[in-house]
Amino acid sequence: MVGENEEYMLELLGKGKREQERDKMQYRDIKIEMGKIPHAEGSAQVDIGDTRVLAGVKIAVGAPLPDKPDEGALITGAELLPLASSTYEPGPPTPEAIEFARVVDRGIRAAEVVDLKSLFIEEGKVWSTFVDIYVLNYDGNLFDAGTLASTAALLSARMPKYEDGNVIREGNLGKLKTSGKVTSCTFAKVGNTILLDPSGNEEKVMAGRMTIANDENVIRAMQKGLRGAFSYSELSSMMDTTFDKSKQLRDILNKAVGE
Amino acid sequence: MGGSQDKPQLIIDGKRTDGRAPGELRPIKIEAGVVKNAKGSAYLEWGNNKVLAAVYGPKEAQPKHIADPNKAIIKCRYQMAPFSSLEEHNRSGPNRRAIEISKVTKEVFENVILLDDFPGCEIDVFVEVLQSDGGTRAAGITAAAVAVASSGIPMRDIPYAVSAGKAGDSILLDLNKLEDNYSDADMPVAIAPREGEILLLQMDGNLTKEQTIQALDMIKKAGETIVKIQRDALEAKYR
Amino acid sequence: MKVILPGDKISDSPVRTENAIVENGKTYATVMGMLDESRGAFIPLESIWYPREGDFAVGIIENSKNNVYTVALESPFRGLILPPPRPRFGGRGRFGDRGRPPMQEERREIMHIGDVVSVFVKEVKREADQVILILDRPKRLFGGKLMEVRSSKVPRIIGKDSTMLRQLEDGTRCTILVGLNGLIWLKGENVPLAQKAIWKIQEEAHVSGLTERITELLAGNDNGNSNNEGR
Repeated sequence: MVGENEEYMLELLGKGKREQERDKMQYRDIKIEMGKIPHAEGSAQVDIGDTRVLAGVKIAVGAPLPDKPDEGALITGAELLPLASSTYEPGPPTPEAIEFARVVDRGIRAAEVVDLKSLFIEEGKVWSTFVDIYVLNYDGNLFDAGTLASTAALLSARMPKYEDGNVIREGNLGKLKTSGKVTSCTFAKVGNTILLDPSGNEEKVMAGRMTIANDENVIRAMQKGLRGAFSYSELSSMMDTTFDKSKQLRDILNKAVGE
Repeated sequence: MGGSQDKPQLIIDGKRTDGRAPGELRPIKIEAGVVKNAKGSAYLEWGNNKVLAAVYGPKEAQPKHIADPNKAIIKCRYQMAPFSSLEEHNRSGPNRRAIEISKVTKEVFENVILLDDFPGCEIDVFVEVLQSDGGTRAAGITAAAVAVASSGIPMRDIPYAVSAGKAGDSILLDLNKLEDNYSDADMPVAIAPREGEILLLQMDGNLTKEQTIQALDMIKKAGETIVKIQRDALEAKYR
Repeated sequence: MKVILPGDKISDSPVRTENAIVENGKTYATVMGMLDESRGAFIPLESIWYPREGDFAVGIIENSKNNVYTVALESPFRGLILPPPRPRFGGRGRFGDRGRPPMQEERREIMHIGDVVSVFVKEVKREADQVILILDRPKRLFGGKLMEVRSSKVPRIIGKDSTMLRQLEDGTRCTILVGLNGLIWLKGENVPLAQKAIWKIQEEAHVSGLTERITELLAGNDNGNSNNEGR
């Protein structure tokens, strides 16, 4: 990834400016494309600026977790594809990819996007919902793009049928039963400045990262990342910004899934 | 975080299942310098949690390509022993949960250790959870902080960690495993106490802003107790 | 004297001193130590050996390649013993400059992997991707015993004007080489007694009356001490 160097970025932010003249608390353009992968039960591709992620949902018959025998499972994975950035390498999932998937998973789970109870089939058999997030181009802020794509894909997913031991994935199908919605806002701390929706160049110089996932006025998940620290008052104002900016994300989400 | 089925009452008459008040910590005991081979170490008991932390280094970073020419890197491994839980046998080796906890723990220590003093080096922080009963990442960070402080590796503050959560409408400090399983929210936080900086914060469940602030205040207050226990453990070696 | 922990404020003004950092105009300790408020001195109880030019250290030959020895020093940084410079000749002889047999003065002791050596730090060299220690005056140490202590305790083991070290050497009839890196080489009549005394110094460095207790120990009057539960 060829980009501005760190000194330039710090100098720019020091002057209170951002690349492309963005405001500190402004998202880049956000776009959701639904149903990119018809084979998947649900799919959505999200662009935030030049970051592009694709989330696909597959639903399959599986065994319930031992402690939740009457609930289906939700399994979220993320792949930082080597084709998406010169800094990504092939190999087993890195701690970064695992953290990314788990933060998205926690938001979806806490907001009860999927009604896991509805996934019960019969004793010892439930539907397992797999959400897989593919990063197709990296330019910062994967967490918000991943949460948006996963939520959109789940909200639009078809529900397969289980008949006489067979899984029917085509024909006249209903939708996966969902109950909540979640979006997230991610902030970067660079020096003493806090920025919403960091770009790839901004992430290169950020010391700390904070993600807040919410559902209307309820916070569903939070994750602080990296070396930098945040003060209580910074956290408080990031929560306020999240409540405000998530309206924009929610509008885009609702429009995309046709609500 | 659990479903609603068979959900036990987590608070009866203002008391929790283990008799604690909402803002009360479990008993914490720390002993510094328990692993002779390590540069620094600590053993911690926090309620039923039993955690061993040890620090090695700084030493030349291996493999060489991961070295940072400008500062030391931290390698951190948090792991739960296969026999640590009251419920099932945990497969040994790092699972996805452990990898994430190792990452956020590492980031806490990247903030407080003076990494710039040791270019090209690595510092290893190991956290082994021998017995678990909820809140092990907070216990691990609190123990590892004592281990680093006892090692002589320079650091700008001694962090502590503790979680707060929610059951019904009550904010609870320091959830145990049962509470964690059935709570409505869990929020582990690590703080550098000198300036009150947040070094780790994770949350899942549901909290309003007011509840989040209330939980943070509770964590801050508990910090006074935890910091004192950490200090006592370190000073005990020199009394 | 007051025990100070990392992060504790040791001065309200910025003081440039070892084992401390200045943040927002105030000075904070970065390691455990004792603050002598009357003298304003901060004495670390634990610290990492940060090598300096002229430091004496004890190490183990770890590798040898192209006439360069790598020395393990229990230090954050790698130690290197470079080959001595070749004497220069004016003209080109029939051997050229390369195939020439070694001259007497450039020959040096051959060392093997695993050998214990004493060295001095000649230079702390900041390379592009790491810090390396250029070592010189290597001396092979034959036989004897190598032990490791916490490097922060080395000043107490040596003592003021080497008094403690001399007492140890005399009391045990040993030669004792104490590296600032915390590696100590001992050889002589009563190495176990010397080791016992050194461990005692390490554990009790902060407790007053240490010299008297060591004298007792070396005289064979160590009738158990409440501070020392033995190892």
